[in-house]
Amino acid sequence: MGGKDVKEMEEVEEMKEVQEVKDKNILRRSRRGDYSVPLLPPFPLFSLLPVFLIVILLFSPKLHSQSSQVSATPLLSHDLSGVWMQYPDGDVPGVPGMNAVDDRTRPPLTQWGKEKFDAARPLVGPRAVAGQENNPALHCDPDGPPKLLNLPNPFEIVQMPGRVLMFFELGHIWREIWTDGRPLPKDPDPSYLGYSVGKWEGDTFIVDTIGFNDKLWDDSYGNPRSDATHLTERYRRLNENTLELQIIIDDPKAYTKPWVSPPKLHKLEPGWEIAEWFCVLDEDNAYDQVVRKPAGVAPAEKK
Amino acid sequence: MEVKEIQEGQDVRDKNIRRHRRWGDFSVPLLPQFLLLPVFLFSILFFSSKLHAQTTQPSVAPAPSHDLGGVWMPFPDKKENGEPVISGIEEKTRPPLTPWGQARFDAAIPFLGPRVQPGKENNPSLRCEPESVPKSLILPNPFEIVQIPGRIFMFFEEFHLWRTIWTDGRPLPINPDPSYLGYSVGRWQGDTFIVETIGFNDKPWVDAYGNPRSEQMHLTERYRRIDHDTLELRIVMDDPKAYTKTWESSPRLFKFEPGWEIGEYFCVVDEEVDYAGRVRKPAGGDVTAPEK
Repeated sequence: MGGKDVKEMEEVEEMKEVQEVKDKNILRRSRRGDYSVPLLPPFPLFSLLPVFLIVILLFSPKLHSQSSQVSATPLLSHDLSGVWMQYPDGDVPGVPGMNAVDDRTRPPLTQWGKEKFDAARPLVGPRAVAGQENNPALHCDPDGPPKLLNLPNPFEIVQMPGRVLMFFELGHIWREIWTDGRPLPKDPDPSYLGYSVGKWEGDTFIVDTIGFNDKLWDDSYGNPRSDATHLTERYRRLNENTLELQIIIDDPKAYTKPWVSPPKLHKLEPGWEIAEWFCVLDEDNAYDQVVRKPAGVAPAEKK
Repeated sequence: MEVKEIQEGQDVRDKNIRRHRRWGDFSVPLLPQFLLLPVFLFSILFFSSKLHAQTTQPSVAPAPSHDLGGVWMPFPDKKENGEPVISGIEEKTRPPLTPWGQARFDAAIPFLGPRVQPGKENNPSLRCEPESVPKSLILPNPFEIVQIPGRIFMFFEEFHLWRTIWTDGRPLPINPDPSYLGYSVGRWQGDTFIVETIGFNDKPWVDAYGNPRSEQMHLTERYRRIDHDTLELRIVMDDPKAYTKTWESSPRLFKFEPGWEIGEYFCVVDEEVDYAGRVRKPAGGDVTAPEK
């Protein structure tokens, strides 16, 4: 088989996989979408809101100064809650691309980063080597940011006093972003999700995360993430239905400069619920045997 | 065997302590949360006629009404040599198994308890399969309850699991796809919060001992905050495919832990395999060796 055929096969496979993911998504979400009962908030918590606001106004001198320049909907503008789905980036027409933060904007790798990158054998993209893939996702390792923010799957944002919660459909992952004014921890233990704090700056919600381990990739293409990563996410709600996200990866151990993504857009999906989608090793192995390996075996020209 | 079990319990406990302490040394006060309680009490007093009646008989630390929010840690229900021991829902209360249930139970080889066969363990958690209820409610790890309008979230430290309980009045779905966590709705009945869940798959065990779960399971959890610092949970499993009668647990107690945050504790297959190679298998190796 010629190299061109192999590449074409891989592309076709890649598109198939994306399509499968999409199909799965549609299946999952339509499943629970047909309830006619409206979302009635339980009484005590609901009653809390006005009182909470009054107390805030009474006790917080900071907010007093802000209330003198009150705009029409100051609170709504600080509201990111809801289920959000990525707009396709347009790599493959009509199909949401499983793209990286954005390969085109990636700064040069450091020596450490290059070694990690070379050792990574992704499932998708130009560096895919059929049968040799070593994506952490193939062992159902936990996913984490920023990769979770790049994949074509929905997430939900829930805001509560002192915290913003994010629920990702992929891998059934949740993370918390502390908004109670605490600083980033000084020397956190390395973890998959890191430790996140968030604050509003005008109409932009800025999330800072440190304390990552170096086990995950930044994207599906094997770009590395080191424990020196300082991740910044800048969320801005452009209008009711559109959320803009800019990702800034500052990882001097892996990249020679900060990696700044172009703005990524997300669409509000008011009727959706985040469904249960776990990575299960047995199921993934079965999928491997039935779909991934057979499709990949031919180009490997072994045996 | 006992030693191993205790060791494992100790490992889990050590891990817990490490995890909880890890983020516990912030010097900045939690302002919004700090404000939340008095405000909440205010609003309760203003709006709830029910609580007005209760305030005439004040106790030391009464439970806030219809509020389960916070981090909860199970009280150990059994101790051996002073160490808490992981237990089942309560083996003594388990009704007889059906033939289907018995076959499943016999095929399950746990790494804990009297049915252990070292080297042959097949707990789903050894492959890092998703945990689920009711098992996550039984393990000696903390969970956090977060209430928002229309929903209650539960965040379990074990495997970083979360579940949603819908409280917006929706009914249980009619024919849900089987899943690990099932589909849960909850409602208050007096001071008891009742969660009902259906739509389970039959893959996880209901406890660490290999008791089975079928897709016919209808799980009921009854939560009652006895006082400010104590949560009582009663688990009722109605699974006619696996058990000949309904399995009802005795009340289980949880302690309020206001200073804790749920740490990151993922199950990672590579780490699990590594742990088995270094700790679990060598500890059990002597027993399995003659069989080979």
